[in-house]
Amino acid sequence: MSSNHVSRPWYAAFVIFAIAVAGLASAAFYKDQFRAWKDWQRSFVEQEIVRATTPEQAAAAKRIRVEIRQTQLPELRRVDRCITCHLAVDDPSYAGYPQPFAYHPNHDRHAFDKFGCTICHGGQGRATTQEAAHGAVEHWDQPLLPLRYVEASCGKCHVPEDVPEAAALTQGRKLFDDLGCRGCHRLNGIGNSIGPELDHVGRRRSPDWLVAHFRNPAEVTPGSAMPVLGLSDTEIDELTVFMLSLTGEPLTEYYVSMRTLPGANLGQRLFEEKGCIGCHAVAGRGGDVGPDLEGLGQRRDAEWIYSHFRDPQAVSPGTVMPQFSFSEQEARALTEFVLRLSDSEVVGYLKIPRMMSSEQRGAAVYTKYGCAGCHGRDGKGGVINPNAKTGEQVPSLLYVAEGYTTKELTEFIKRGQSEIAPLDAKRPAPPLYMPPWAGKIAPGELEDLVAYLQSLFPEEEGLDW
Amino acid sequence: MNNLFELWKRIERSSIGASVFRVGFPRSGLDRARAMVSSFFLHIHPARVNRRSLAPTTTLGLGLASLYLFIILTATGVLLMFYYVPATEHAYDNMKDLEFAVTAGQVLRNMHRWAAHLMVISVFLHMCRVFYTAAYKAPREMNWLVGVVLMLLTLFLSFTGYLLPWDQLAFWAVTVGANIAGYAPVIGEQVRFVLLGGNTVGQSALIRFYTLHVMLLPLAVAMLAGLHIWRVRKDGGLARPDEGPRSAVEEFSGEDVPQTKTYGLMELAHGTTTAVGAKPEDEVSSWPHLLFRELVLGLAVLAVILALAVLFDAPLEGPANPVKPPNPAKAPWYFLGLQELVAHSALWGGVIIPGGLVAALLLLPYLDRSPGGVGVWFSKERRTATTIFTVIVVTLVVLTVIGSVFRGPNWAWQLPWAVTQSVH
Repeated sequence: MSSNHVSRPWYAAFVIFAIAVAGLASAAFYKDQFRAWKDWQRSFVEQEIVRATTPEQAAAAKRIRVEIRQTQLPELRRVDRCITCHLAVDDPSYAGYPQPFAYHPNHDRHAFDKFGCTICHGGQGRATTQEAAHGAVEHWDQPLLPLRYVEASCGKCHVPEDVPEAAALTQGRKLFDDLGCRGCHRLNGIGNSIGPELDHVGRRRSPDWLVAHFRNPAEVTPGSAMPVLGLSDTEIDELTVFMLSLTGEPLTEYYVSMRTLPGANLGQRLFEEKGCIGCHAVAGRGGDVGPDLEGLGQRRDAEWIYSHFRDPQAVSPGTVMPQFSFSEQEARALTEFVLRLSDSEVVGYLKIPRMMSSEQRGAAVYTKYGCAGCHGRDGKGGVINPNAKTGEQVPSLLYVAEGYTTKELTEFIKRGQSEIAPLDAKRPAPPLYMPPWAGKIAPGELEDLVAYLQSLFPEEEGLDW
Repeated sequence: MNNLFELWKRIERSSIGASVFRVGFPRSGLDRARAMVSSFFLHIHPARVNRRSLAPTTTLGLGLASLYLFIILTATGVLLMFYYVPATEHAYDNMKDLEFAVTAGQVLRNMHRWAAHLMVISVFLHMCRVFYTAAYKAPREMNWLVGVVLMLLTLFLSFTGYLLPWDQLAFWAVTVGANIAGYAPVIGEQVRFVLLGGNTVGQSALIRFYTLHVMLLPLAVAMLAGLHIWRVRKDGGLARPDEGPRSAVEEFSGEDVPQTKTYGLMELAHGTTTAVGAKPEDEVSSWPHLLFRELVLGLAVLAVILALAVLFDAPLEGPANPVKPPNPAKAPWYFLGLQELVAHSALWGGVIIPGGLVAALLLLPYLDRSPGGVGVWFSKERRTATTIFTVIVVTLVVLTVIGSVFRGPNWAWQLPWAVTQSVH
């Protein structure tokens, strides 16, 4: 080792590592700079130049910068970079173009700068590669929603009945009630817990899973007690859309208020549910505890009514009107509705609980709590419960009037029956059972339900006592 | 080439050049010494260095590699700080922005991540090297202590950085790690509370970890690393089998050497005799021999980090979800040996064994006071010590491997190739 020079192998090592560093740094640079979205943007610019009809347009097209484009949506806690590739979503002249340059129909209906893309379509808004952005990647649980299920997203903000265009969503919601899913599943605090709660099911489950599940529950959930529903493919899709809409995603005031502004359906439903007609009269029908609502619009302005719904005491001290704890959007919807009450057509369609018979209300209770899920529509039975002594089926309710007194039936519904007698003691116990309803169903509702069940007895047969 | 050389000479001689470069490109032995001594950046080196210290097999370059990794981590870390917001609602989105929208964001994060893992490994291996060459013995006891503290700081730096991406991996690894800290008797719960700023990992924990990670711990490591390297010089350079002024004096004891007068020649020599450095032929000037080797090592480390960063992306799982623990939830890999022990016994695995190991490491130079084997790999005189240390290291590695790849749901034994797909 001479004192002035480093030995040759060290120079060789230096050269090798220096080349390695330079090469790897270039590789890192290449990986960082060469992105597919830049190619898409360049081909879009070329297309724009070709489409230009005037020199000014061509010049403008040439000035389009190749850069990441994004919609900042702080209220939705999203940044959507989809428009980095989908460059023509707001340009109707691109209607029918192949992706990624297709035009988005009705683009101004939900302003992109306020809604972005992923709130409806799913996917990963921040991503700028196709695979990651479309979201079918590991550790991203919201991939792109297939278009046939996209109506589910309407349900994030809108009440299903408020969006006539989203027929599948409305239909799915109706199926959910008709099939009596709540007999086993809880949703928004109503229903039982034989099956899982469904409040956030849209986030947990993929469309494929839901479809397979509705086709044959045991296939995706071995040992599931859920009966095969025997639905058509269309019905399965509708129910899937409704399930996917149940994301429980927190939305800020702006988006939630959008939910109720266009329609008064929510207001009407609240009016019926809360039994307003019990105290207030409309068109000469109803109670006389509170003022007649006829001509309300002439006496009060919308702001007064709204404040009144939020806090009656603050607006009319000493009033007997109960505090219903309406949310802001509920109060607003109800305001819209009561202001339209002078319209006699609206009144005509109003379902007024006080005017219905106990049996009619009981039928509504039967639907509301999903009794049909196990006991069949109109209590006719027919739902399979393997190894149950009662013909391997959940019993029909047509003849309860014969076997139970009103008191016995009330007690039975409250208590439930956790163990179902098996047909064959060696086989597994029947999966479906009668849950206890005490505390989950209001006493008045239970009274109506019992009346309804007793009314199911076929008249022509006559009571046998 | 000649023109370039001339240009450089002119720059050197200009008034600005002369004020900056001072010594210029050293061409004489004295200038080489002055170059090392007069430069702030180089003066931590000796002017001349023992040939033995230059041999790659002496140290394997592990200490310096650790320092290089620390420098890479600082550089990439500062750049990442420009984008990172230590808030639970932003941190995870920042990671996505780095990946998809920030120029070189992903490669920076990859470099930072892999350099952090490699630094843990290289610091650990450096400690093993120092043990196996008995380089902790007198007069280097204190520097061993500083080194052990540096290793603990490295682990803590890595651990605090682990939380920052705020994904499932980060959240649950830190939750598990903090729980292990909570097993310590009497003070465990308090330590955990102070560390997390609460009882669970949340915003308070994130800001604490962030502050520790970008301020306190890097400063502590930088200062202690300075002390560590400075002490290497003050303790006579790297450990060598036959060293110290005593032997030098002995060799010259036949002559009439005054023992009271001391001689010093700048940084070239120091001692009680004019003939200090018994074998001058064993030393070469640090410029260029040491510096060039350091340069090559630096390039090698950078090449490895770049290669890892280009080939492998830093992991990022779904956003942190405190109600959805993965099964099993695992600590960062370097604590998995501990977690494996804790799974068997919280007291032994979480307190007694790790506490005992750290205490034994700190006390090692004071327990093992025999002078033998210094500067020699696996010296025969130290067979017992070498065996005990090796058993501990192998055990730790085996436990870590078991914890990393042989543990499945509920910490049950699982073969790595039989891993079932986790259900989301």
